[in-house]
Order: sequence, then structure tokens, then C-alpha cells
Amino acid sequence: MSVSRAMTLPLRMIWHALYWTFERATWQYDLMVIAILAFIWLTPPAWLGDPVASGPGLVGILAALLR
Amino acid sequence: MTFTGAIGRACLLPLRAIIALCVALRIHPNVLTLTGVIINGAAGWALATGSFGLAGWIMLVANIFDFIDGKVADELKLSSRFGGFWDSVMDRFSDLFILIGLIYLYATLERPDYVLIAALTLTFSVMTSYTRARAESIIPLCKVGFMERPERIVLFMIGAFTNRMAAVLWVILVLSVLTVLDRIYFTWRAVRSDDRELPA
Repeated sequence: MSVSRAMTLPLRMIWHALYWTFERATWQYDLMVIAILAFIWLTPPAWLGDPVASGPGLVGILAALLR
Repeated sequence: MTFTGAIGRACLLPLRAIIALCVALRIHPNVLTLTGVIINGAAGWALATGSFGLAGWIMLVANIFDFIDGKVADELKLSSRFGGFWDSVMDRFSDLFILIGLIYLYATLERPDYVLIAALTLTFSVMTSYTRARAESIIPLCKVGFMERPERIVLFMIGAFTNRMAAVLWVILVLSVLTVLDRIYFTWRAVRSDDRELPA
């Protein structure tokens, strides 16, 4: 029995994200790309200690507005 | 239609014109491959000096050469086993130039943490290719894992153009580690399955 068949749906989703077997230009690939771009553009550079980036990023701006 | 598919198709339109031009000029695909690597060397230098915007544009030009060489080879009927080998070897040099540029930049900024992250990214970028090449010497195909070279190239360009290279390095590192593990697991399963099918 394969590993993924023995899992519940949320676990199976995590398994498929980690053990990637999807082709490019599939909806799963789109979802992964969106998640990656969200991480890159929304994470405040200061959280990652980015040595060269400037500006707080979108999440940093929102966090400052909520403060 | 997926949005990544739509972006791919949109990018293909201007590339077709460049491919047609190279075919008309009968430029040898191996020359295109080499040109791409040399330009990527310039991108590595631009990254090393912290000129991210410039590096982004240079990478864009370099990767056009990288993308069209195979298509030009097909059109000119110059595809060869050596061409495939040459392309793979030159691709590794391109990856190394970019990441060595970043390592140099972070070293000059006295950021050993990011020197380490860039060095690990370099290691796992090379291992991503090595695991597939080695796996395909014992099984027919090993094409699992998300972080292949086209993804790396696009992410480096996004990092350069939007000045978010640290986040890009983290993404490439984590997904490259996963890709290497995916390929080891996939190959282990394929080999084990082959061994079971062999008569005793």
C-alpha cells in the first residue's frame, strides 16, 4: 500500500506537497506557486533578517497599521 | 487553463521570434548554450556587487539563450547526445555563478548566516540535478520534486527584480532539500519494486 493511501485528507495534502509528483501547469502547481509568491512578497524582510531588502513588505505594513 | 500555463504560453510568443532569428542565422545551439553561461557569469558579478535590478535583467537575457538552445537544435536538426550533455553541464555552471555571486555579496556584508544559506542552496541545487542524473542511470525516469532549474531561474529573477533575495533563497533551499529527498525516495521505491519482480 502506498504511503498516501493510508492517510486522511489533510495529511494526504501535506504528503503531496512534500512528495511532489505533479506536472507544471496543473492546478496543484498553480497553488504551490501562489503559496511561494505569497511567502516571498508578504513576509517582512526583517523577519528573515534580509541583509539587502528594503521596505517592510505587505504584512509589515498591515501589522504597523493594526498597531 | 491554469495561470502558470497562460504565463508560459504568453512568454513563448516573443521567444518564437528569437528562435526563428537564430534558426535563420543558423547559430549553433551549443554556441547559444555557452553564450547563456557567460551572460549568467555577468549576472553573478552583478549580484556580487549588490546590483539586483541589473542582475535581474542580465539573468533574463541569459535565460533566453538557455531556453532557446534546445528548440533551435530541434529546428536545425542538430540535436545530439553531446548537445544534451553540454547543456546540462553548462546549466550547472550557470547555477553556480549566480549562487557564488550571492555568497560573495553576503560575505562582503559580513553576514555569515546568509553565506551559509546561499552555500546550502548551492549544494542542494547541484544535488537536485545529480540525484536525477544518477537515478536515471538505474531507472528510466526520476522526475519528482518541485524545485527544478526553471523554477530556480524564475525565483532568482523575482528575487532580483523585487529585492527579496533572502526569501527566495529560503524557498529554493527548503524545496531543493525536499526535491532531493523525493528523488531518493522515488528511486528507492522503483529499485525495490524492480528487485521484487526479478525471478528468484
